Amino acid sequence: MSSTASLDTPTATASHLTQRRPGVGAVYGVELGKLVRQTKVRVIGLVMVAAPWVFILLVLHQDRLPLETLYGRYLKTTGFATPMVVLVVAAQWLLPLIASFISGDMFSSDDNHGTYKTILTRSVARGSVFWGKVLAALSATIVVVLAIGASALLAGLVCVGGQDFISVGGTLVSPGAAFADVAVSWLSVLPGVIGFAALALCVSILTRNSVLGVVVPVVVGLVCQMYMFLNAWDTVRHLMLNWTMIAWRGLLDDPSYTAPLVRGLGVAAVYTVVFLALGYLVFRSRDVKEG
Amino acid sequence: MPTETTARARPEHPVVSATGLTKRYGDLVAVDAIDLQVRAGDVYGLLGPNGAGKTTFMRMLFGLVRPDRGTIEVEGIPVQPVPVRALGGVAGFVETPRFYPYLSGRKNLELLAKLDGGGGGRINEVLDVVELSDRAGSKVREYSYGMVQRLGVAASLMREPRLLVLDEPTNGLDPAGIRDMRALIQRLADSGLTVLLSSHHMDEVDEMCTRVAIMRRGQLAFDGSMSELRGRAGRATRHLVTSDDATALTICRTTPGIVHAEREGARIVFDADDRAVERLSRELVEGGVGIRLLHAPTSALTTLFFRLTDTEAGDDEEAA
Repeated sequence: MSSTASLDTPTATASHLTQRRPGVGAVYGVELGKLVRQTKVRVIGLVMVAAPWVFILLVLHQDRLPLETLYGRYLKTTGFATPMVVLVVAAQWLLPLIASFISGDMFSSDDNHGTYKTILTRSVARGSVFWGKVLAALSATIVVVLAIGASALLAGLVCVGGQDFISVGGTLVSPGAAFADVAVSWLSVLPGVIGFAALALCVSILTRNSVLGVVVPVVVGLVCQMYMFLNAWDTVRHLMLNWTMIAWRGLLDDPSYTAPLVRGLGVAAVYTVVFLALGYLVFRSRDVKEG
Repeated sequence: MPTETTARARPEHPVVSATGLTKRYGDLVAVDAIDLQVRAGDVYGLLGPNGAGKTTFMRMLFGLVRPDRGTIEVEGIPVQPVPVRALGGVAGFVETPRFYPYLSGRKNLELLAKLDGGGGGRINEVLDVVELSDRAGSKVREYSYGMVQRLGVAASLMREPRLLVLDEPTNGLDPAGIRDMRALIQRLADSGLTVLLSSHHMDEVDEMCTRVAIMRRGQLAFDGSMSELRGRAGRATRHLVTSDDATALTICRTTPGIVHAEREGARIVFDADDRAVERLSRELVEGGVGIRLLHAPTSALTTLFFRLTDTEAGDDEEAA
C-alpha cells in the first residue's frame, strides 16, 4: 500500500457524518442503482416488454383466436383488446411471478453476499435500510408491470389499430374511453401485485433465501388460483390476492360496478401491511452474525 | 514500536466503553461479562485464539449483534438501541469485508458514500492510499482476497472515522500484503486515529498496539498496556538440540532460571528468559555438550499468550 499517498487526519473532520445522516432516500437510490445494474432485472424487463409484440404478431399470423380468454375474440378487431388479453393472462400467474422475481431476493441477496455488515455499518439506520429496499422493490415492480401494459397497448395499436373497443357487457366504447378503461384496468391490478411483492419481501427476510423468496409467493399465487377455479366459498375467494387482480372486470361491465374493486383494494392493503410489518419487525431485531 | 504516550485527545468519555457485555448463542457464551475501555489515541489490540469472542465483541460494537446483557458505548453514546446514533465516527469491518461482486470496486465505494450521506469525493484519495486505483473499475468478483481486504480499508477511510475497527486485517494476506497493511495501520494511528484491531498474531499486536486485551473463551484474560504485558511475559519456550541430550537435560534441570525442561523426541524443550539461556549455554559448553540448535520458536509474549488462553503452539500456529 502506498506510503506516499496522504490522507487527512480524520480526528477533527468526521463530525459532519453524524450531522447529515442519510435516510430512506439514500437507500432507495442505492437499491434502485443495484437493481438496474443486475442482468437478471434487465433481461426480465426486456422480455416482458417484448412479449406482447411477439404475442400479437403471432395471433395476426394465424387463423384461430384464443376464444376462451376474455377479449380473445376481439384481438384482430381492435388494438385495445391486446393489453386486456395480456392482462387477463398475466394476472393469473405472470404478475405474481414478476413481483416475486424483483422483490424475492431484495433482502436475501445481502444475506447471500454477506453485505449487511457493510451497509449496516454506514450512516443509515436499519429502519431506513428496510424502507429504502421496500420502496425500491415496489417501484421497480410497478414500473415493470406498467411497462408491460404500455407495451401491450402500443403493440395492439400499432399492429391492429385504434378501433372502437367492446366492453365486458358488449357495449361499443370509443377509443378515448377504451384507453381510459385499459389504463384503469392495469392500474387496478397494482395493489394485488404490491401484495405479492410484500409477501416476497417478507419471505426474503424470514428465510434469508433468494430461491424461497421467489418460489413461495408464486406457489401461493398458484394455490390461490386453483382455489378460485373451484366453486367454493366466495368469502374465502374474495380474501385472496388473486381476486383483487381480476376485480377490474366489474368496471368494464355494463352497468359497471366497483364493489369487487373496492373490496380488492382493502384485501391487498391488509396483505401488504401485514407482510411488511412482519418483515420490518424481524429485520429490525435480527442479529447480523453471518458474512 | 509504538509507545503509550501516543494517545492525544482525552475526551470526557472513552472512545469505546463496554460494561458487563454478554452475548450468548444458545448454550455458548460467546462474550461473557466483558468490561473494557478504549481511550482516544489508543492502538488497542484485541487478541485471542479463534472462537475467543473477538468478532462477536466487534459485531456488538458495530450494532450488528445485540448484547444479551451489559452495554457498549462509543464516545459516551450507547450503541443500542439505535446504533447509527453512536457510530458516526466509527468505521471498519468485521471478518472479511464484503462488497457487491457484480459491481466494480469504485461503484461499491460510490454506493457506500451515498449511504454515508456524501458524494464520494474522497474515493480517488482512499483508492490511492490502498493502491487500488488501477483496478477500481474491475468487478469485485475479480479481486483477490488481499484486494478485497484493501477495498475494505478504503471503504472505512472514506468515512473519515475517529475510531477505526479492523477485525484481523492481515488475515489471508501474503507477506508483502501483511507488511503493507501493518504500515498503513501504523501510519493512520500516527495521524491520531484511534484503532481497535483484533488479531491472533501476537507479533502484530506487539508491533502496533499501545494497549491490549487478551480474550479467552469470551472473557478477558488480560487487559492493560503493552508494557505491562511485556513485564509479565518473562520466559519464552526454547528448543535445544545437542550432541548429548541426556547430559544436556540434566544440566538444564540444574541451571537456575530454566523451567519445565523436558525431552520431546530429538530435542529438549524448556522455558527460560534470556539471562538463563546465556547461563545454560556456558554450562553446556563447560559440560562438554555440543549445541547443535538453540532457538525460541515463539517469543516470550507468544508463550504468555498461549498460557493466558490455555492454547498450545500447535493449536494456533499463526499466533507464533
